[in-house]
Amino acid sequence: MDHTFTLNEQRVEVDAPALTPLMTVLRDELGMLGTKNGCAEGRCGACTVLVDGSPVVSCLTPVALVDGREVRTVEGLTAPDAPLNPLQQAMLDHGAVQCGACTPGILMSLTALLERESAPDEMDVRNALSGNICRCTGYHKIVDAALAVAGAENGSRS
Amino acid sequence: MTSLIGSNVVRSDGEDKVRGAAVYAMDFAEARTLHAQLLRSPIAAGRIRSIDTTRAAALPGVRAIVTAADVPSNTSGWILKDQPIFAREEVRFIGEPIAAVAADTPEQAAAAVAAIELDLEPLQALTDFDAALADGARLIHPDWESYAMLVPAPRDGNVAWESTLDKGDVDAAFAAAHIVVEDEFVTPRQHQSPIEPHAVAAHFEQGRYVVYSCTQYPFLCRDRLAEWLGVSPSAVRVIATTIGGGFGGKIDALLEPYVCVLARKTGRPVRLVNSRREELQTAGPRENARIRIRSAVSAEGEILAQESENLMDNGAYSGEIVACSSVPALIFGGTYRVPTARHRTRVVYTNTPPTAAYRGVSGPYCMFALEQHMDHIANELGIDRRDFRMQNVHQAGESTTNGQVLSDAIYPEAFARVDEIAPWAQATADQQAGPLRGVGIAAVTWLTNPGPGGATVKVNEDGTVTIVSAGAEIGTGAMVTGVRQIVAEELGVSIESVILAPTDTDTGTYDGGAQGSRTLFSVGNAAKMACENVREQLLETAAGLLEAAPEDLELVDGHVGVKGSPQARVPLAAVAQTALYTGGPISATGKHVTPPVPFDAGCMTGALFTGFTTASYHVHQAEVEVDPDTGKVTILRYVVAQDVGVAINPQQIEGQIHGGVLQGVGYALYEDLRVEDGVVLDGSLEHYRLPTAFEAPPIDIALLENPTPNGPFGAKGAAEPSILPVASVIASAVSQAIGKPIRSLPITPFEVLRALNDETESLAAAAPSPTR
Repeated sequence: MDHTFTLNEQRVEVDAPALTPLMTVLRDELGMLGTKNGCAEGRCGACTVLVDGSPVVSCLTPVALVDGREVRTVEGLTAPDAPLNPLQQAMLDHGAVQCGACTPGILMSLTALLERESAPDEMDVRNALSGNICRCTGYHKIVDAALAVAGAENGSRS
Repeated sequence: MTSLIGSNVVRSDGEDKVRGAAVYAMDFAEARTLHAQLLRSPIAAGRIRSIDTTRAAALPGVRAIVTAADVPSNTSGWILKDQPIFAREEVRFIGEPIAAVAADTPEQAAAAVAAIELDLEPLQALTDFDAALADGARLIHPDWESYAMLVPAPRDGNVAWESTLDKGDVDAAFAAAHIVVEDEFVTPRQHQSPIEPHAVAAHFEQGRYVVYSCTQYPFLCRDRLAEWLGVSPSAVRVIATTIGGGFGGKIDALLEPYVCVLARKTGRPVRLVNSRREELQTAGPRENARIRIRSAVSAEGEILAQESENLMDNGAYSGEIVACSSVPALIFGGTYRVPTARHRTRVVYTNTPPTAAYRGVSGPYCMFALEQHMDHIANELGIDRRDFRMQNVHQAGESTTNGQVLSDAIYPEAFARVDEIAPWAQATADQQAGPLRGVGIAAVTWLTNPGPGGATVKVNEDGTVTIVSAGAEIGTGAMVTGVRQIVAEELGVSIESVILAPTDTDTGTYDGGAQGSRTLFSVGNAAKMACENVREQLLETAAGLLEAAPEDLELVDGHVGVKGSPQARVPLAAVAQTALYTGGPISATGKHVTPPVPFDAGCMTGALFTGFTTASYHVHQAEVEVDPDTGKVTILRYVVAQDVGVAINPQQIEGQIHGGVLQGVGYALYEDLRVEDGVVLDGSLEHYRLPTAFEAPPIDIALLENPTPNGPFGAKGAAEPSILPVASVIASAVSQAIGKPIRSLPITPFEVLRALNDETESLAAAAPSPTR
């Protein structure tokens, strides 16, 4: 069955059964390995992508549900040959990346937050991360990175 | 140029990780790769009557099915060599591999696994300590006496390993005691649960197995495969991919032999990835344990003697836990003065999944037990809990129970720094004023793993520098920041010009694995040694170019220059190019091994782990509030004072402390990998509860500089220890808050409410005396 959607601003067409998880389509059909398969049961959040700007766990999202919609993955945050975006750079500058397996999902959850909220506070950031498990960092430096970007975008000092 | 030592350098693998471009083992596949799946035992104990693969082998896409009949009958193991690749005559735990299938797609492999006809005759399953240790219990390994061991140890039937410590006249000390305090503690399994599950791929090339794995310890993986497959270690090459977390769970080999056997059989690359369910139910967690401890104490609050009887669950086969059987004796005598002691720890076979290393191996529950016991003693004596610890904690130059001299202990400073950040007097006053509030404090001595390491440093013809090492980067930043910082500092080059070659057993010299905080310490030492040699070669070559004596030259800012003459200098690129045709390409290999720690060897048996090599010292404090209606524990404040030797990259160390503390919070409050009748009940992250961003408490950190002459620039291992004290200080704080002892983990709301409502229990009626 054919499904058509926008992936990182490019139109893609895939032939897959309607209930195929979007994660499987991204990783196995389209070679987009940035979206990580941490649990395949919607608990860890490593496979989080944005559908029309909202974070979803792609392992539990049937590909048929994204027909005609706009999907964004970690690979779409910046072009492969372009500089990192401010959130990606802040994650590195704050030491918020260790093993990095959760990082793509965390970046997508935080991207949705920063697009939705003009001035998120710490509780907003922690709420946004509620569906993402990070086993390495204890979250503090991830929260710091997000708040630094939010502060910079508000023109305030972070 | 400012020093790179102590600088928060950004990790060199970071950009790929935030772009989603880093290739982990779970992402890795070569062209023509087949997909493997395992048939695992559905029962905890049984005899294999027959395995029929005929129907499965005829299914579409199936390329090979292998069982015990297709592999050597060798058993293998890191320490105690008791594991077959596939169950041969008996299955010993639910999830034990019986057969492996390679097929064109994962779905075809799964279908074939389901079509294998298996006939098992159930045997009595011994799934807990009492069943396995009962008189006349069935032997889980009838051939236990035939297994080879790395070193000999007392063993007996279902006791896979025993370790003892016997020091001084324990009975006399107990007879002379003012009081004797006794406690028993039970702790659960804790799963490492890295975001990336175990994942491997392999192909067979030029008569050798080439393995891609997210292994923490490539050389152990190589040696285990060689032992299992019956080939020489050099017939196996292990390449570490980007590793999506390990925490000890990826030290030992696990899935690697299956892809090797299938790749050999099919002539194709084969990959195998654990599902999350397989990961939780079969990839070895921290062991469950039972600790009985008693202390003889004087009226003045000195611990005169201690005795313990401890059980650790090995599961059905042996991993690292047999080597950890000496940890209770080391923890019990390593932080507080205990001159006389008798400890026995038995590692017990059960028909449950094998247990394995997890950050701080065995230490967190030994500390949990010891520190609750210390609170119990302090309360019995009516002494403030912090004062009691400070009275008994080792001073520099004092000896542990087994005779190791802790020459650089800095406990008074560590306690003082914690008190500056969160004064104990204030916390204990808050405890009396508010609702259910409590504070806990604990100290621990821990080690830097002494495994050997090596590194080759090359100066490239463009003036950059490449490090070749088999040290694995498991996410801590040890390789991608720390070792690069050390090399850049030594050779006077920018951090950006230091390149890290991939981790590969073919190119790197032997490395003892990313475990026990050793990578930056050991590889860093080796790289520093290599740099000293490289430096000589650079100066020798540049001396000719600059018409100066080598001793008048220095390495600065990517150049070799004449000291005191800023204009007289030549870039490293020119030096490296010149060297090609004068002294030859510039490179050197350094090596490192930690000297053994002297101790009283006569007092221990069965101990591979005999002391605290490159010891570091830690004090943690937690303040909690307990909701009396729901039993929920909230950590209000958490403080860490950690001896790091010298902080090469403070930001990365803070990250290790944040992460270690939160894993400890999970162990204290949420995580419990439940096993009932041999069944791991928690096969999903829905039930196995990992801490989220909401549960991360505020953490204040004091990094204590206490340079060691044995470490690069004075650094000690820093990644592992922060998990050790967490459950103990949280349990102490909760215990004080609710006025009841805590004797098991995790401290769930249900446990809190049960303890609160238990009228028969109370803490000794000692009013805490404020500190002087």
